[in-house]
Amino acid sequence: MHPYLQNIAIIAYVCAMGLALAHLVQRQAYVHRLAVLATLVGWIAHTLALVVLAIEIGGPPLGTLPNAVSVVVWVVVLLEMLVERQSGVTVLGAFVLPVVVVLSLKSSVARPVTLAPALGNAWIWIHIALALVGIAAFVLNFAGAIMYLLQERQIRHKRPGRFYHRLPPLETLDRWTYRTLALGFPFLTTGLILGAVWARTAWGSVFAFDPLAFFSLVAWLIYAGTLAGRAAGGWHGRRAAYFAIVGFAALVVTLGAGFFLPGRHGA
Amino acid sequence: MPLFAAGISHKNAPLALREQLAADEGKVREILRDLVGGGVLREAVILSTCNRVEVYGVADVPGEARAVAFRHLCRQRGVEVTAVEEVLYTHAEDDAIRHAFRVASSLDSMMIGEPQILGQVKDAFALAQGCEAVGPALHTLFTQAFAVAKRVRTETEIARHAVSVSFAAVELAKKIFARLAGRAVLLVGAGKMSELAAKHLVEQGAFPIYVVNRTWARAQEMARALSGTAVPFEELETALAAVDIVITSTGAPAAVVTRDVVARVVRSRGTRPLFFIDIAVPRDVEPGVDALPAVYRYDIDDLKSVVDANIRERLREAQRAEALVEREVAKLRARLGDVEIIPTIVSLRERLEEIRAGEVRKALARLPAASPETRAAIEALSAGIVNKILHAPITKLRESSRAGAHRSWLAVVHELFGLGRRS
Repeated sequence: MHPYLQNIAIIAYVCAMGLALAHLVQRQAYVHRLAVLATLVGWIAHTLALVVLAIEIGGPPLGTLPNAVSVVVWVVVLLEMLVERQSGVTVLGAFVLPVVVVLSLKSSVARPVTLAPALGNAWIWIHIALALVGIAAFVLNFAGAIMYLLQERQIRHKRPGRFYHRLPPLETLDRWTYRTLALGFPFLTTGLILGAVWARTAWGSVFAFDPLAFFSLVAWLIYAGTLAGRAAGGWHGRRAAYFAIVGFAALVVTLGAGFFLPGRHGA
Repeated sequence: MPLFAAGISHKNAPLALREQLAADEGKVREILRDLVGGGVLREAVILSTCNRVEVYGVADVPGEARAVAFRHLCRQRGVEVTAVEEVLYTHAEDDAIRHAFRVASSLDSMMIGEPQILGQVKDAFALAQGCEAVGPALHTLFTQAFAVAKRVRTETEIARHAVSVSFAAVELAKKIFARLAGRAVLLVGAGKMSELAAKHLVEQGAFPIYVVNRTWARAQEMARALSGTAVPFEELETALAAVDIVITSTGAPAAVVTRDVVARVVRSRGTRPLFFIDIAVPRDVEPGVDALPAVYRYDIDDLKSVVDANIRERLREAQRAEALVEREVAKLRARLGDVEIIPTIVSLRERLEEIRAGEVRKALARLPAASPETRAAIEALSAGIVNKILHAPITKLRESSRAGAHRSWLAVVHELFGLGRRS
């Protein structure tokens, strides 16, 4: 039942992505409505899939990394729908859904290996949940940065193209990336600290090599640097946007490492 | 009830002729009274603007009605009828509905999407209503035209993007700064164009306004006009550091704002965006400044190309609007058909009800001993027969009206049931 629902969700997300991208260049209102509908259908199927999974395994569906990423996707889609509805920025889906699709496909092809047997402590669930919310915020951060760079490019080159009228103002996008960064960072930080504490109690060492832990530390450093730059150094605009993209790339590598490299988070 | 729309517009008639034919309210009133009072037209609305003079009407013989209407207009305005007839166009039935919708939605305007025309159509309609020249057909047509115009406005982007240089500049400013409220603006030079752009910014809440000009008196004058502050020319650099938007329009032969100056300014202002709107020729702001971080510079040519892109955008959106209009024309055709058949259906029902009630009364008079049950049965029986008989003709009328072929059927029904002259 769960794989079946999961597939429906992924297919709906792929459709929604296609429609959202079509809407970006084609601007028919009904294309956007269809995209929203497909997103909603996908999200509902996804919700059911997660519920069924939780019942099957008798606990939160966070026990394996692919499942955990699936929950990230679920949170991201929910946030995307809410923000799009509230802000009226109808092109948001075109920037968030591709990430959603990549993450969903990634989590569905990865081997669903159960995490280390030590999982059983409530702290570990909090570690996972916090890290996931952080990652979800950084997906939106990444989408905002891409939109910023596109819009900035059009305005700077004095060639307002197809997206010019539909993308939000630069200042809004800049504030958007700042807020999502400020939101995601504490979650990621706390998640990482709990993970490190847990690693020490479970394996006796914080630094025992684990690819996911290593890359997430890299991503954390990038985000920490960006946040410091923004808060203290007055970073804005393009520089902040580039850093958001680099940071997200590090997060993607982190998840990829968790999926495909041997370590404590999987495989 | 044949519907038509006839007139001349910017599409085919020269401005000189349009000017001559355009009539003021008083004249339009007079003509409407003559036309509808004289019985040539049953309903009429006259739309007279600087871009078009049109008559929307309902008449039994549209060709004749059109000729009379324009002969009237020409006589009133002292224009040669032949000159007008050469360029006069006429739309009938569906084409007339389509034309009304397109005009009200600003799809037929010189600048597609311009907002004035809807108000002008509304005024023309109100004027005709005041003269009691509007009947059910034109009432339905125009109220629907207003609704279509509103839909076109909200569902397409034909009116959304700036088509003048000064509005394009404001729109750009809004794409850089989310809100213009509280943004400081600096005017360098005191030309008319920069004053206009500054006024648009002030309307959006931009504040405070600074004016720099070589001539101090002119700077003060302009500052007063915009409720701003005049700043001496020597303090240009200080002012640049403090503001968000700069509009330049001096007549200086060389750049007034150089790259070096802006580079220094940018260092002091961090990464707050700085937007130069340079409408001077030759340019006042060195083109190199937009390589600096968070500095944006648009000169008059850049703004014109934005305007051109926006106009192309409007044309693309207009195609979507045309499709919307087409769907609405089909809907209204059905409704107008109903408007025409409903009076006939009502009088048909009344006629048969009259007969039925009379016959029932007679029958009951002959049956003084009839119980209430018998009376009720007789009533029900007669009503049932009438309804059965009415069913076929009413269905036929409705079907034919939906197909647009109801007029001959209306005549037949009137003849067969002796309903008298239909109105």
